[in-house]
Amino acid sequence: MLGSRQLGVCKVRRGVPGGGLETATFASSVVHVDAVERKPFFHYLPGTPTITLAAPGCSFRCDYCVNFRISQYGRDDESVWNARPVDAGEIVGKAAAAGGSVALSYTEPSLAPELTLELARHGRDAGVGVVWKTNGFLTARAVALCAPALAAVNIDVKGVDEESHRKLTGGSVQPVIDAIRAFLEHGTWVEVSTPLIPGVSSPERIAAVLAGISRDIPWHLVRFTPAYRMRDQDPTSPDALARAVAAGRAAGLRHVYVERALGEAGRATWCPSCGRVVVRRGVWSLLENRLEAGRCPDCGTGIEGRW
Amino acid sequence: MAKYRFIEDLPDLIHPDEYAAHPAGRLVRIRISATEDGVEILGDAFRPEVLEEILSRLGPDEIEQMLCG
Repeated sequence: MLGSRQLGVCKVRRGVPGGGLETATFASSVVHVDAVERKPFFHYLPGTPTITLAAPGCSFRCDYCVNFRISQYGRDDESVWNARPVDAGEIVGKAAAAGGSVALSYTEPSLAPELTLELARHGRDAGVGVVWKTNGFLTARAVALCAPALAAVNIDVKGVDEESHRKLTGGSVQPVIDAIRAFLEHGTWVEVSTPLIPGVSSPERIAAVLAGISRDIPWHLVRFTPAYRMRDQDPTSPDALARAVAAGRAAGLRHVYVERALGEAGRATWCPSCGRVVVRRGVWSLLENRLEAGRCPDCGTGIEGRW
Repeated sequence: MAKYRFIEDLPDLIHPDEYAAHPAGRLVRIRISATEDGVEILGDAFRPEVLEEILSRLGPDEIEQMLCG
């Protein structure tokens, strides 16, 4: 519990005298229209748009964060509060009109669960799902609160080694792994992203952990960009991404993706039984979805997802 | 100091088939256009801080940036 005027480690919630909490949870720095593939989600309503919101703040302080001007509010002087109030009903209305979802992305959505719950309340009536791109640093209680409101989550898993993960992010990795299991148990669709961070991300070890949870979790491999406090390293090479894909498949993961560096083959969904392409994608777009009721049209194998 | 504004989309000037040729990520590409509103400078780079340094030295009021995710 936060004491009077005490600021949380999240830097966006503060205790108030007499008890209670001060926060600006119904706010966003952006209202963007993005493809769901950009979050990225490849097995959740492909080819649909999202209305994307993001309020300043994050529970992690990752050294490589490209979004630091918005995510590191309260830790970095360059990150200023630039959010404006948003009306959950209005946002859901926009998503419904666009035939898409509401996404909370760019920063850490779990810092504002009230907004997610309110968006989901409006979304149930309008047939609009709410999705998160999250660092997954949530307690079991927080997952239990938010999961019923969430159609899908993409969780960042930067590494599975406790020491290097804590050094990079400021947080422990086990809650992230536990959150993957917990969201799946609650019935939320889960995809995972891994930026290949030098010295942190071992594709073999991460893939083994993910495959131990579910081989059907889509795994997105993301190129490391030298940025923020990690400028001395080089960007991830296409060869390293290809090796990481191979590691994912060797571990048993059925769907491993690279958005750009390996071309169209890297972002296609392949039937794990007959090996044919069932979903073709462009960069952040859907080109063709051959699935029939979530099954391969050639051999009938079911492909996990929310199609 | 320029103010940063976060926008939905910017055109790519660097394409994936160029990644392997620049393993250290030193490539920066700039496109300068004359528009009805003035001069528009679009940049793309593997290292964001290099591009931001170039753009900020041109003294703009505002720099537009795409966010990750």
